Amino acid sequence: MSEATATPRGSTRIGAPAGGRSAAPRRSFLRPLILVVLLVVLLALPIYVEEFWLRTGFAVFGAIVGAIGLNLLVGTTGQLSLAHAFFLACGAVTYVFVSGDSGGIGLADLSGLGLPPLVGMIAGVLVAGLAGLLFSPIAARLRGIYLGVASLGLVFIGQHVLNSWTSVTGGFNGRSAPEFSLFGFTFGNRDPELFVVGVPFREAERLWYLGLVLAFLAYLFARNLLRSRPGRALQTLRDSEVAASVMGVNVQRYKARVFLVSSMYAGLSGVMYALSIGSIAPESFGLELSILFLAMIVLGGLGSVGGAAAGAVFVSALPLVFQRYADVVPFVGGAGEGGLAPGEAARYFFGLAIILVVMFEPAGLAGFAGRFRRKGRDPGGGRPTSSSSAATDSSTTSVPSDRPAQGSTS
Amino acid sequence: MDGMSASAAGAEIRSDIPSVDVENVSVRFGAIKALSEVSFTVEPGTIHAIIGPNGAGKSTMFNVLSGVYKAAEGQVRFGDSRLDQMRPYQIAGIGVARAFQNIALSGGQTVAENLMLGRHHLTKAGFIAAGLRLPRATREGKIHGERVAEIAEFLELGDKLHTPVGVLSYGDQKRVEVARALCTEPRLLLLDEPVAGMNAEETDRMAEAILEIRSALGISVVLVEHDMGMVMSLADRVTVLDFGRRIADGTPAEVQVHPEVIRAYLGSGDEINPAEAAEAAATGHHSSETPGTHS
Ligand SMILES: Nc1ncnc2c1ncn2[C@@H]1O[C@H](COP(=O)(O)OP(=O)(O)OP(=O)(O)O)[C@@H](O)[C@H]1O
Ligand SMILES: [Mg+2]
Repeated sequence: MSEATATPRGSTRIGAPAGGRSAAPRRSFLRPLILVVLLVVLLALPIYVEEFWLRTGFAVFGAIVGAIGLNLLVGTTGQLSLAHAFFLACGAVTYVFVSGDSGGIGLADLSGLGLPPLVGMIAGVLVAGLAGLLFSPIAARLRGIYLGVASLGLVFIGQHVLNSWTSVTGGFNGRSAPEFSLFGFTFGNRDPELFVVGVPFREAERLWYLGLVLAFLAYLFARNLLRSRPGRALQTLRDSEVAASVMGVNVQRYKARVFLVSSMYAGLSGVMYALSIGSIAPESFGLELSILFLAMIVLGGLGSVGGAAAGAVFVSALPLVFQRYADVVPFVGGAGEGGLAPGEAARYFFGLAIILVVMFEPAGLAGFAGRFRRKGRDPGGGRPTSSSSAATDSSTTSVPSDRPAQGSTS
Repeated sequence: MDGMSASAAGAEIRSDIPSVDVENVSVRFGAIKALSEVSFTVEPGTIHAIIGPNGAGKSTMFNVLSGVYKAAEGQVRFGDSRLDQMRPYQIAGIGVARAFQNIALSGGQTVAENLMLGRHHLTKAGFIAAGLRLPRATREGKIHGERVAEIAEFLELGDKLHTPVGVLSYGDQKRVEVARALCTEPRLLLLDEPVAGMNAEETDRMAEAILEIRSALGISVVLVEHDMGMVMSLADRVTVLDFGRRIADGTPAEVQVHPEVIRAYLGSGDEINPAEAAEAAATGHHSSETPGTHS
């Protein structure tokens, strides 16, 4: 404070903008370094690990994309949505329809456009976005939990459509997803045969890289978004809609936009889900999937992009790992044996983990990492992660009493 | 530094600062009439205080001015704009900024990030430009970041730019509120109790900053404040509210001796006595700087 009083304050200081110091955040070197190391490890992994882990990895990458998208909506903006599964379904169904072939399999008479898978993927994202756009006027007018309830309806509509629109979705039995390919390079076992340092790169290896690239791009986009103008507007409107609007943020428009972006993320996640499983079925896109995604972002840390990714790894990989190691993990039995089914065991585990997180580290895995990083560093010296913000916000920001009842801005 | 208030006389006259005309504004909350037919005019480039006991309707008036509440009756004009018919973000867009009485900052974001929000209506980067880090978005962020750093420096927040707001002291948070409003480059600045909870020294410095804002920028300032000494030494004009009604309007010297005002304040019992305020105004101690108190 002392030097501020020592310098004379005059019209030059506040009157006219002049260059000089910037409010741009100082960045530490550690973060990018960790990111680079992580990327290198992930890139090299297919050479060393077996197929099971690569397939799990692709499923995880898909979940990461979806979780990052949901986190933008729920964690960053404070808008609850239970409709994430619906938007995943939009992406998945669009992909199998656009890139799948027409033909009758068994009882069902399927129609498909047979377009290149890349077109199908893009169409999946766009159709999910369109669905999000159609719902966004509602999303713009509702807040928090109310949006959660309203969005629930979409899940049921989605289930109905999936079950009854047989020619597109395959109906109750579902429909297989066409193999992905990119300009003639297929993400299957052949075509072309591929060896890297003597290791055959088959479907699992190829999909791993596809997933890695998509998840990384999704991560970068969200990070950039949060660090800039729209991201700040979203975070502020979570903390106080009145403050945001008085500062010039068109609250309704931003709520609609973030809903749209979140649904597009879900659409891509849905396409990846279809590729990962190899098929789509109505039961995959029920309310439970929405809840799993919420579990990911709560465990990972609301508002943190990296946290959402970590939560997605945890939640989507655990059931698969339990399944594989059913004989080793206590209380878990394989099919037909005693003990819990792997999926069920994983659910109990998440339940427990969520309770622990809410009790001890509301900022989730990201908060945990942040705490670890802050050790041995001067307080306030580093740039705090956006993750720790999510947790501290509600507690540190007083709710202004000179602010009107919610919703009076609209 | 006795010349602090004198510098007000030298304020540049800006032609783009219109007056604010509040005409017969009423606001009701069910049975409560928070404002009843209140009128006043804020002349361009002046510091206009709104005072009154707790619950008098001061913050409600600010909520009307910033578009958060709709007036049941009456009009609010700011130049050609009808503030009573506009949405809050549109009002921000024409240069009306507000610092909240109860801090409404994002506690987990840094000071710089909170201040950058003030630049929202001056900047353009949308979801795509920001997400893809298009050069124009990055450039825009950098340019506005510099101005934000200047304003932070002006309000003695320069060394706290990268500190999360949630860990700052109350006085610092209050300053961030004011700085954020300033960051919108307002033509009309609404300050709702900017020194509430500050100590005497911080209060003096905030008073000084408000005077400088007005003299350097030539903008109008509407000030809600309970600190009578500060009101009397800063304000060019004072509007007094009590139970939602305007009971007086005039220069500080006029309202101070107004019988209704004295009655309202004595009646509420919790306010400072007018004689004390008069003394503060006469000595002008709120605008003077005491050297030596800063290490
Ligand atoms: N959203 C609201 N709903 C119901 N009543 C309200 C609302 N906002 C304000 N009021 C009422 O309007 C009256 C004026 O409140 P206001 O906040 O404007 O007072 P104030 O002059 O700012 O008081 P203070 O000095 O305590 O800040 C009070 O009786 C208050 O209870
Ligand atoms: Mg008030």
